[in-house]
Amino acid sequence: MDNLKEDLKKQIIEQLNLEDLQVSDIDDDALLFSDQGLGLDSIDALELIVLLEQYHGIQVVNPDEGKEAFLSVSTMADYIRKRKAEQIA
Amino acid sequence: MSFITSYCHLNNENCSVNGEIIAERDRESEDSWFKQLYKSQEFVYPKFYKMDTLSQSGYLLSEMIKRAQPSLITSYNDDEIAMLFANQFSSADSDLRFEKSYKEQGTPSPALFVYTLPNIVLGEIAILNKWYGENMFAVLPKFAPDFFVNYIDILMSAGTKAVLCGWLGITGEQVNVFVFLVEKEGLAGNEFNTGNLAQIAGPGLL
Repeated sequence: MDNLKEDLKKQIIEQLNLEDLQVSDIDDDALLFSDQGLGLDSIDALELIVLLEQYHGIQVVNPDEGKEAFLSVSTMADYIRKRKAEQIA
Repeated sequence: MSFITSYCHLNNENCSVNGEIIAERDRESEDSWFKQLYKSQEFVYPKFYKMDTLSQSGYLLSEMIKRAQPSLITSYNDDEIAMLFANQFSSADSDLRFEKSYKEQGTPSPALFVYTLPNIVLGEIAILNKWYGENMFAVLPKFAPDFFVNYIDILMSAGTKAVLCGWLGITGEQVNVFVFLVEKEGLAGNEFNTGNLAQIAGPGLL
């Protein structure tokens, strides 16, 4: 089990007030901003940016970067790992 | 003449359509009552999980009305369907939760803020169905059949052919929701007047 992805799902539920959802309801690769995924919108994108900063100490300053990072829980996890590796290097 | 062609009731224990109970709450379930309904009715609309309970109630019962009265989808242009909703406490639940998020987290939650107006529920339903008719959310001291009859008379005289109406009583843990459809031409249904509306609404609302 990928702990980072599980943590991200919990954080998304908390940050976006998706109280009716459980971690098991969110697929790793479901498109977050699609009606086939979570159906998130631009307001939620703001919340995800806040989430990355609050929980992971990562600032998203490039909008194009954010578009790719927020595709799914998997891409968010990849993005966090990449940015953390850059911080260490 | 107009007709009440379909109606739904939702309370803390069950949900009925045209007087027939279609779902009963499972108190042992881990899911919220509204999530139980969403799943049991096999609705698919991920935005449901983002909505506050006021919008969830409006979404759920509007979907049930559409199932009970398919003419709502097939018989009208997108600007011929209006919506007229009301309740007693506006969006108080979301307002309080937003205030709490402001106080406890230090930063307000945009995801909560977007639901701090009661007419957002109308936007949710209109966006989903692409309905562009008139819509209004009123805050009233109590459910008032006269208000619906008078307002719908005005809407119908100005080109509206169907009106989705609702009383969304959502306060804390209390749920008392009544949604009904009024159509200008109804082959079957109750004539739309204050007496019939009061009777269909039931004693729980009056």
